[in-house]
Amino acid sequence: MPELDVKAPKITRPPDAGTGKPLSVTGLRKTYGGVTAVDEVSMEIAAGEFVTFLGSSGSGKTTTLMMIAGFCEPDSGSIVVGGRDVTRLAPQKRGLGFVFQQYLLFPHMTVWDNVAFPLQLRGTPKAELRRRVGETLEMAGLSGMTRRRPRELSGGQQQRVALCRALVYRPPVILMDEPLGALDKKLRDQLQTEIKRIQRELGLTVIYVTHDQEEALVLSDRIAVMRDGRIDQFDSPRELFEVPRTPFVADFLGAANFLTGSVEERTSEHTRVRLDTGGLLTARPLANADADGGRVRAAVQPGRIGLCPADTGFCTGTVETVTYVGTLVRVTVRPVGGADTDVVRLELPAGRAPAPGEHVGLTAEFTDVSVFPDPEDAGVHPDAEHRG
Amino acid sequence: MSMAGSALATQPQPQSQPAPTATPGRMSRLRRALAERRTRYGLLNAAPVVVYLLILFVYPIFSTLLLSLKGEEGGWTLHWYADAFQGANLEILLTTLRISAETSLLSLVIGFLLANAVTRLKPLWAGLVMLVVIVPHFISALVRTYGWIILLGEHGVVNNVLTDLHIPGAPFQLLYNEIGVVIGTTSVMLPYTVLLLYAVMRAVDRRLLAAAASMGAGRITIFRRVYLPLVAPGLVNAGVLCFILCLGYYLTPALMGGPKQTMVASLIDDQVMKQNQWNGASALGIILLLLTFAGLLLLRLLKSAGEAYRKRGTAS
Repeated sequence: MPELDVKAPKITRPPDAGTGKPLSVTGLRKTYGGVTAVDEVSMEIAAGEFVTFLGSSGSGKTTTLMMIAGFCEPDSGSIVVGGRDVTRLAPQKRGLGFVFQQYLLFPHMTVWDNVAFPLQLRGTPKAELRRRVGETLEMAGLSGMTRRRPRELSGGQQQRVALCRALVYRPPVILMDEPLGALDKKLRDQLQTEIKRIQRELGLTVIYVTHDQEEALVLSDRIAVMRDGRIDQFDSPRELFEVPRTPFVADFLGAANFLTGSVEERTSEHTRVRLDTGGLLTARPLANADADGGRVRAAVQPGRIGLCPADTGFCTGTVETVTYVGTLVRVTVRPVGGADTDVVRLELPAGRAPAPGEHVGLTAEFTDVSVFPDPEDAGVHPDAEHRG
Repeated sequence: MSMAGSALATQPQPQSQPAPTATPGRMSRLRRALAERRTRYGLLNAAPVVVYLLILFVYPIFSTLLLSLKGEEGGWTLHWYADAFQGANLEILLTTLRISAETSLLSLVIGFLLANAVTRLKPLWAGLVMLVVIVPHFISALVRTYGWIILLGEHGVVNNVLTDLHIPGAPFQLLYNEIGVVIGTTSVMLPYTVLLLYAVMRAVDRRLLAAAASMGAGRITIFRRVYLPLVAPGLVNAGVLCFILCLGYYLTPALMGGPKQTMVASLIDDQVMKQNQWNGASALGIILLLLTFAGLLLLRLLKSAGEAYRKRGTAS
């Protein structure tokens, strides 16, 4: 990896800040041969907001983005950018910016010409074009390589050029389709920071598509978690993490532990759940008010479970594995009276690690526990199993 | 071959195997290289090709060159070359260049449209269309040319249709003139241009065009600023190849052209078969060869000119 990737010079002055425009999507729908790819997606995005569509493949996130960009036409619904209805406009008439996963720089043009291209299309006067291309390239730390061809650059540099090309004409909304998907972890982290910095400094409205939860959490003001063509929840990362509205969200973002049981008591402040393993767990009120207080699943993030003496807390079990991950310890506990496959995952500070085989009780604040009605179809995505 | 030998000889030799040091420098390096197994096998493998090229390629060209420089009464002369650039012969040379250029241009245009259309088709249909383009190439050019003669004749299908449609001026003279030659030769050259252009066009990432559209480029701008520059190398290659192939092409111009469309290949035929004039024919052959080289040189010049142009475009 060329050392030029390592640090980008500090920006001297934001060329023109606050260029982002609001975007609103209403009732967007798209079917492919009877299969519904996007189903009634509606959202309001404020100017200068960084929004991520998060979901696994086939969730409709990319199709939604493509419809906003104009590369595919929605069956119904409308897209309004900065007060202008663009639903039926061709991509080139929408004036949006797009950053592709595969960079898609023009191979026959230099870095400079690639970035100057959108300005040339707009008939920008020469002096201004020169200033803006120069400033944009400088902001991305590419000043030294304006005369190179895309194939002479590393992946990270190419994606920076692609970013410049989308930024340079100050589009009201910039769409990014897994722009860092083809880069390695270290470079990805570094570019995330840069994208976020540039977005803040210029006040850009960005819609970002990814399947990487961590990336979504780092970058976004709000995240739309998508599944089967619908938005499960559209909230800030913190809310998604702490108040998940569906089991899918709880699992996809926080890799939650799920415990089944029946509702024993419901009040407006909390729900008491008698777990199948015998213990009593106090949780937040049931998300769905009219759901009958029958079978439920309770979700708790691994980091929000604490240890207590055996036979106290909501569950008692045997410590199975203890894995050190830096300052954290990942612990699995097999509950007494649970099925063979059920283990509860915990993340504890390294100093409080129990020993394997130890008998422990588990405890959690009721505000950290969400409960959902338990029809089996409440679908945890199969991918969830593979995450560590 | 000594070059290849010395290149291989730069490999370090094991100390235990002392090299013959009688003549230091180049000779010893060569001998050492020849002693190596890799070199010996290399020479063995190259031998058939070398012999083949020497007998069937280098020798005929040199004997043609010698023949073209021999006077009728012995001795050396440039008389045959002077002849080729005089009067009717010069006209035939210029006609050859003109018809080749016209044919290249036409088959480039048709080839471009065809290849471009094929790249937009689904793979199955694209395969079928390419088959239709290429299969006629397996049929003898003679048969195809007679086919064209039947189609383009005064009472051929083409003229009949045009007459029935009451196109003014129909029937047209489509045979035994330059139109006929260009139509016939283009149909022969088309598979080459289509294949070359199709390969280049397939390699163009269509998403680049979408990227340009996302930045606000219209169809014409995308074509001019993105698509055309990306397929330009293919256009140049196909054009020059087509031109070179046309220069020496004999059959179709001879059958579909009139006396004014005599091309160099026909002239050579005439000189050998009718006048038994081998020296003049050799000179013409060498001229064709040089024209071909000139075409290839042009190709390289165009390429470096394109590079220079791009570099200049950057220095803004």
